[in-house]
Amino acid sequence: MPSSTPLDKFSYDDDIVRKFALATLIWAAVATVAGLFVALLLVVPDLSFGTPYLTFGRLRPLHTNAAIFAFAGNAIFAAVYYSTQRLCKARMWSDTFSKLHFWGWQLIIVLAAITLPLGMTQGKEYAELIWPIDLLIAVVWLGFFGTNFFMTLKHRRERHMYVALWFYIATIVTVTILHVFNNLVVPFNLFEGYSIYAGVQDALMQWWYGHNAVAFFLTTPFLGLMYYFLPKAANRPVFSYKLSIIHFWSLVFIYIWAGPHHLHYTALPEWAMTLGMVFSLMLWMPSWGGMINGLLTLRGAWSKVAEEPVLKFFVVGITFYGMATFEGPMLSIKSVNGLSHYTDWTIAHVHAGALGWNGMMSFGMLYWLLPRIFQTKLYSKKMANWHFWLGTLGILAYIVPIYVAGLTQGLMWRAFDEAGNLAYPDFVETVQAIEPMWWARVFGGALFIAGIGLLAYNWLMTWKTRPSKYEEPVIEAAPLSKDYADGPAPTSEYQGHAVSDLGQRFDVWTQAHWHRIWERLPMKFTVMTVFAVLLASALELIPSFMIRSNVPTIDTVKPYTPLELAGRDIYVAEGCYNCHSQMIRPIFAETERYGEYSKPGEFIYDRPFQWGSRRIGPDLAREGGKQSHLWHLRHLRDPEATTQGSAMPQYPHLEQTKLNFAGIPDRVEAAAMLGAPYEAELLHAQDMARAQAKTIVAELVAQDGPDRIFFDPADAANEAAYDDPSKYIMLEETQAIALIAYLQRIGVDLHAAEEVGEEPSMVAENPADATPARTVGGAR
Amino acid sequence: MSAPENELTGHEYDGIEEYDNPLPGWWSALFALSAVFAVFYVVYVHLGEEGKDLHAEYDAEAAEVMEIRFGQLGTLTADRDTLLQYKDDEKWLVAGKAVFQTHCVSCHGKDGEGLVGVNLTDDHYKHITTIEDIVKVIEDGAAGGAMPAWKNRIPHVNQVVLTAAYVASLRGTHAAGGKAPEGKEIPAWDAPAEP
Repeated sequence: MPSSTPLDKFSYDDDIVRKFALATLIWAAVATVAGLFVALLLVVPDLSFGTPYLTFGRLRPLHTNAAIFAFAGNAIFAAVYYSTQRLCKARMWSDTFSKLHFWGWQLIIVLAAITLPLGMTQGKEYAELIWPIDLLIAVVWLGFFGTNFFMTLKHRRERHMYVALWFYIATIVTVTILHVFNNLVVPFNLFEGYSIYAGVQDALMQWWYGHNAVAFFLTTPFLGLMYYFLPKAANRPVFSYKLSIIHFWSLVFIYIWAGPHHLHYTALPEWAMTLGMVFSLMLWMPSWGGMINGLLTLRGAWSKVAEEPVLKFFVVGITFYGMATFEGPMLSIKSVNGLSHYTDWTIAHVHAGALGWNGMMSFGMLYWLLPRIFQTKLYSKKMANWHFWLGTLGILAYIVPIYVAGLTQGLMWRAFDEAGNLAYPDFVETVQAIEPMWWARVFGGALFIAGIGLLAYNWLMTWKTRPSKYEEPVIEAAPLSKDYADGPAPTSEYQGHAVSDLGQRFDVWTQAHWHRIWERLPMKFTVMTVFAVLLASALELIPSFMIRSNVPTIDTVKPYTPLELAGRDIYVAEGCYNCHSQMIRPIFAETERYGEYSKPGEFIYDRPFQWGSRRIGPDLAREGGKQSHLWHLRHLRDPEATTQGSAMPQYPHLEQTKLNFAGIPDRVEAAAMLGAPYEAELLHAQDMARAQAKTIVAELVAQDGPDRIFFDPADAANEAAYDDPSKYIMLEETQAIALIAYLQRIGVDLHAAEEVGEEPSMVAENPADATPARTVGGAR
Repeated sequence: MSAPENELTGHEYDGIEEYDNPLPGWWSALFALSAVFAVFYVVYVHLGEEGKDLHAEYDAEAAEVMEIRFGQLGTLTADRDTLLQYKDDEKWLVAGKAVFQTHCVSCHGKDGEGLVGVNLTDDHYKHITTIEDIVKVIEDGAAGGAMPAWKNRIPHVNQVVLTAAYVASLRGTHAAGGKAPEGKEIPAWDAPAEP
């Protein structure tokens, strides 16, 4: 290469890093305070003040979305924008795109913060945002962020891409794929749409997405962050280049398969669960590869760790990563999952990951960045140390009680007493048992937030001492020449020895020369990553869509009526799935408590599926016909009135809000388009809905219930008020009746035929032909 | 570790260097082991003999618990004599009580005192005149769904019978905070049937 090549002169854009860093701080505070609030709602349900906007079901998604996409998201962007420029020796390709990315992403977060409390949701975890926002996400993520990143790679002045960049590439392409495919809906108005997948398939897609959001939003970009900021802060070489290669590719390929471990014991075909389990176990070492490379990079620098808060944050962050990625595979073992699933165990697990790994890594990075982006000294190292201790203790004070809570609840649910009966038959007992642990969690979370407060103060004081004008050092680097020869291909050290040709080739392969070539070819590298992700996704997903026997049809399962459909959408909007599952697993304690276990064919009209992931309240998969309409009405109004000790918020607004009957035909049409065999419903949806609402209210009245709700309850005793329509709302007009219509339908179709016919009751037929065990076991 | 440890690769990015260290042996071994286990597990559960799946496990567990629960009891019939016999049988009423605590308390209250549903601890009943009627109401429901039908929900006849017996046993306990009586007063459970 001729040495006379003129050097390019350029500078790095640190302004965008300052922006993303500040957004990280702000959203860290918002996300954790929202978390603290929803944690309080569980112990003091009245904190929602009877308003619909502050209920757990609506705010929990706000907390999770803010933590993942706002806090962690902005941290990722700060890391990517700072490190990519330096690793590529190039300014970001377009300052405009950087800004569009920044403001676009903040706009998305603000829209999320507005729509979620309003009950606008798709009802799929971590994919709650409605379709117009989803479109915006795709544009901002791939169009602005992705384009800017890849164009920067293209114009880089560093021949080879460092491992941090590999992880960024995997993040950008995979998140795009996950986001697009999981959010495909048929819109039926400006805010709502039905998932193109239903039931079992929707569940599989959702957890393919959900698990890999953890993988490619909360893991790979943070590994990239670690690979840049940790060796920088420790000033030590990375432990092993080869380990980087192997653990990167194994993570990218294997992670994709692991999703179904979120669906153990559900109506998912068991082969899919098995794949989810074994691939999760295989993920253990690839994950630990990252931990080893992080921790062993600190060999010889441990004395530095003791005095440098940045490194302390990193060490604890990486340790939590190691812990969480050991626990993850363990939880993916079917029998362990049978105990842990739907309990707080999962909540403890994800907070070890989110607060421990994502939180501490972000804070470490921020403390390292602050003096650099503000070109001054950190205001107080001591305060940073305090933050470190508050954060670490806060995490422990959060997760330990929640692990205890999860284990307690899991064991209580399945416990039989010595006589073979459920030891804790009343669900609410299992909630009350863990309430003290929920209080402890509030304390731990508050400690963690106090740490963020210290960061904010330290930040402000550091920022105050910034120079009046930031320096923009001019960097000089040569552009990449067109002609480049890779180093000589390595030879096997076994050449000439008694080692087979294949063995020698393997030896050469392990020297990773081939990978070194990939590292200077971003396009090829990206294509290979996409290929790994798509191949794994296709192998996991396609069989469940193609093979009919995976979801055997049940003749008696019929589509929802127009009113039930509207009621179901209220169920989704209120976020009921955040506390109630709709999936009875084939575990005997569970069928004793909730009824016959769920079958895949029962969910074919469920868009989205509502299996849930946590039981703060009982399972609802067979709720239909289990309670009277009147019970539901009273329970929705004030859960404490029917279930003492209930943690459920009050929903009085449902019986005082008119149902939008005019919007029902659109729902029916969209469902029909997706395959629900509607006929008369397509022409008379509104009338049918009104007729069913009338019928339900008539039944309600027969059960000694009201036919109208007075806005002032005292008016019910006032005869004159009955003649004044401004004082009441007829129940048949209300959302409550639609929701009750849906609740009364859940899970009843399985036995629908039996109820229509004049079949003899079980008791009459039982004694003659059934032994106890067969009666129960034969339920399948 | 062996000699070539801590040789640098010669790569350098923004001041960051990399060692050319080999993969830790235990790491590679465990990774390989997890892959081998995966193959064996799949073969064992899905390609080997039947009965390793979750549904078979469920059947086995159900049989086991039901044996503990009703093994000594046999299969009951839902007739008057059985109900009268078991309503005073503390030992077996626990099975009925467990069902009651699982499914009935949300409407009838923890001690049967009545919430949305009727008080079961007084002498007044709405759809019941004889003890056998309790079974009927449990199975088919009553009052237009105010009392739901449970026949598809309680899988074992013994549970139905013992739940009915347990409900019968609540009569006259007059639980604290009980709902006002509804329906009409009916003869004692063991009163001879009226002609």
